[in-house]
Amino acid sequence: MASSISLTRVESGNPLLNALRIVPGVLLLAGIGYAGKILEHSVNAYAKEHHWTFPNIEYVLWAILIGLVISNTLAIPRFFQPGIATYEFWLKLGIVLLGARFVLADVLKLGGISLGLVVIEITLSLALMTLLGRLFKLKPKLTSLLAIGSSVCGVSAIIAAKGAIDADDEDSSFAIAAILALGALALFTFPAIAHGLHMNDVSYGLWAGLGVDNTAEATAAGALYSDAAGKVAVLAKTTRNAMIGFVVLAYAIYWAGRGQAEAVTNKATFLWKKFPKFVLGFLLMSLLVGFHAFSKGQVASLGNLSRWAFLLTFAGVGLRTNFRDMSKQGLRPFIVGALGEILIACLTLGLVVGANRIWGS
Amino acid sequence: MSTDTSPTVPSKSNSLSLDTLAVIVALVLALAVRFDIFRNVPW
Repeated sequence: MASSISLTRVESGNPLLNALRIVPGVLLLAGIGYAGKILEHSVNAYAKEHHWTFPNIEYVLWAILIGLVISNTLAIPRFFQPGIATYEFWLKLGIVLLGARFVLADVLKLGGISLGLVVIEITLSLALMTLLGRLFKLKPKLTSLLAIGSSVCGVSAIIAAKGAIDADDEDSSFAIAAILALGALALFTFPAIAHGLHMNDVSYGLWAGLGVDNTAEATAAGALYSDAAGKVAVLAKTTRNAMIGFVVLAYAIYWAGRGQAEAVTNKATFLWKKFPKFVLGFLLMSLLVGFHAFSKGQVASLGNLSRWAFLLTFAGVGLRTNFRDMSKQGLRPFIVGALGEILIACLTLGLVVGANRIWGS
Repeated sequence: MSTDTSPTVPSKSNSLSLDTLAVIVALVLALAVRFDIFRNVPW
């Protein structure tokens, strides 16, 4: 299963050995990412030279496609896995650095709009997934995990909730599998639908950030549409991620009340523990740029560093997506997840279109 | 992944330290950018 790569833990007492173990996988990510960039340029140049009508395929898609082809056709040796698992680190690093490309006023305006939409999205998603879980007679804690994963932020939220509601490893694995499989589908369906609807960058970015569950896939889905859409998708998704503590806390209190999870003694500590700290890094970076800590050229360099970090992330997204392993996961959780996701995608699309009419963003 | 088909769930502490590490590395990179170390990099 895809998650087995992404979530493989690097376990060794020696920090130097740990650092060395990630090198082959990181080099593989960088190699795939760089190949994506080369392919983007060379394919476009070749098509132009031969007067072909060929769609402009961005390096993002090439990196994902190369990763997908490798993971679904070759047996990747185990020594690559610790390095491939670092894709999540590159994602968070990329998001923090991306803060430099946002003026604080934009963060506040778009973040404010995102926050309003996120609250509506989370409420409706939780209700919808809970209803579907009951209809399909899924185990209650699996339903809770699917609801948390689809409403807030995919895999991270499920991991955060697992301990808090004392869920089984098996339930968590099913929920993670469903969220990742659906995220992979969203990568291809979201941009296609948006092109069909002629959505503008801001509307599409908001939709990708609200509708795609896992942060890596939401970032990739945004970047596949345009650079500007990618930025907005990250902002919307980061706003959604920031809500993780509140949702997990509510579920922890619910399950503790039923005697099936440990009671939460200090709610403020709980919220701080669950809060994704990279969101603060993102805001700090935006603040530093706002206070003119960097020149224009330096901000461009930070943007380029962010793009490179994302490039490694996108290669990792492709590498960890294995369709054969996904098909081995339970069908019912996947159906519930898929139905929920389709409805949530329609719902968030409606929210974004509505918001676009109100704010004209 | 073809070599490991059982999904595993990492500990919470891993994801938290990953966040902090990402912020620290970003700040170090920002400092490097501030001192123009990346000025001539052909991105």
